[in-house]
Amino acid sequence: MNAVISNETLHAFVDGELDVTESEALTARLSGDQTLAQRVCALRSLQSMVRLAYAEPPVAPKARPRATQRRQLMQRCTYGCLVLLVGLSGGWALRGLEFQTASVLPTRASGGYQTVSLAREADPNRVMLHLDSASPERMEAALDRAEQLLDEAEEQGRRMQLEIVANSYGINLMRAGVSPHEARIVRMTRRHANLQWVACNQTIARYTREGQIVELLPVARSAPTAIGEIVTRLQQGWTYVRV
Amino acid sequence: MISKFLFGPMRPGMEAQRPVLYRIAYAWCHDPTLADDLVQEAMSKAWARRAQLRDEASLKAWMVSIMNHCWLDHLRGRRDFDDVDELQDTLESGAESPEVCCNREQVIACVRAAVARLPLGQRQVLTLVDLEEFGYAEVAKILNIPVGTVMSRLSRARASLKVMLDNAAKQHAAQPALRRVK
Repeated sequence: MNAVISNETLHAFVDGELDVTESEALTARLSGDQTLAQRVCALRSLQSMVRLAYAEPPVAPKARPRATQRRQLMQRCTYGCLVLLVGLSGGWALRGLEFQTASVLPTRASGGYQTVSLAREADPNRVMLHLDSASPERMEAALDRAEQLLDEAEEQGRRMQLEIVANSYGINLMRAGVSPHEARIVRMTRRHANLQWVACNQTIARYTREGQIVELLPVARSAPTAIGEIVTRLQQGWTYVRV
Repeated sequence: MISKFLFGPMRPGMEAQRPVLYRIAYAWCHDPTLADDLVQEAMSKAWARRAQLRDEASLKAWMVSIMNHCWLDHLRGRRDFDDVDELQDTLESGAESPEVCCNREQVIACVRAAVARLPLGQRQVLTLVDLEEFGYAEVAKILNIPVGTVMSRLSRARASLKVMLDNAAKQHAAQPALRRVK
């Protein structure tokens, strides 16, 4: 069995393509055949040289923007947009939550009116309603709101202080003989001990200068200025609602 | 993790083949830029046709076969070649003959030059077998040629490679310090 082994067979042997019996037979011949061993050795070294030659292929110059980079950029943009969208929608959802939890009062107290409080959480037990208009709807709204708040507080057993501050044309609400709700105001005051009516002195002075005599209802008191009253109350922790 | 979620499990597997493909492509064309283009084209084609791959274990061979098509398309696109099939056995690159080999860098340059001078068909078979250790049957499938052709091309490729490298070594031995200046 000394037939010359073809190059193809030898290559197949080196590449592990021969089946087990052929491979074993060749291995057995290798130990006795010096030239054959040299041929195998030469083949293996050739193979390893080729591997070495391409172990670290030179890197292509990346001067021009490649499609992958563009695609990666697009991907990153997509992720960015996604994150932004999640953030926005999350913020939007939380905004509703925040609004509900942080200001339990304003939804009830103002019902769409502007609510201001210097305290971190609006105090539902100390509220002032600010009226500066003589329009019948606004006046009625102020009284309705006041009654609603006081009734709620009573139902829940809270001791509530409510002040209705009027200036400018809103002062008509508290003028004796002018106010369209005189009876109601008197009734409300009788019913709720902590309801106060405050009129702006400056407004009264202005009316007086214009020749109108301003006579307040007996339940109303006057403050030097409405703004001063409001600011003082805010500093005391009151909640301000503009009607 | 997000990319896995968005692009499915195939994507990282394909991306992992990039260095392998690049090495093969470079061994075929010996041009970094062209090799990069080939890899890119093969990757995008593979991604577009990912549904055609039935067995994920053969991902590498499948992608190499796609790259082979890209390479042949590229050669057809060059106007100085008409019939790629005919050129498979005759095409040699215009690379310089292997020069003096002594240290590692020179050996690498030398072998690359020798491989570059091999006819295209032989070069492809040799690189697939030696660099990536594909079986003969796999190479036959990748290049779409019979197994017998794989074996004969490999045999011829190694023989001529050996001759070229031996010649280079002889040159080196004969002229250790002098270089021919034309």
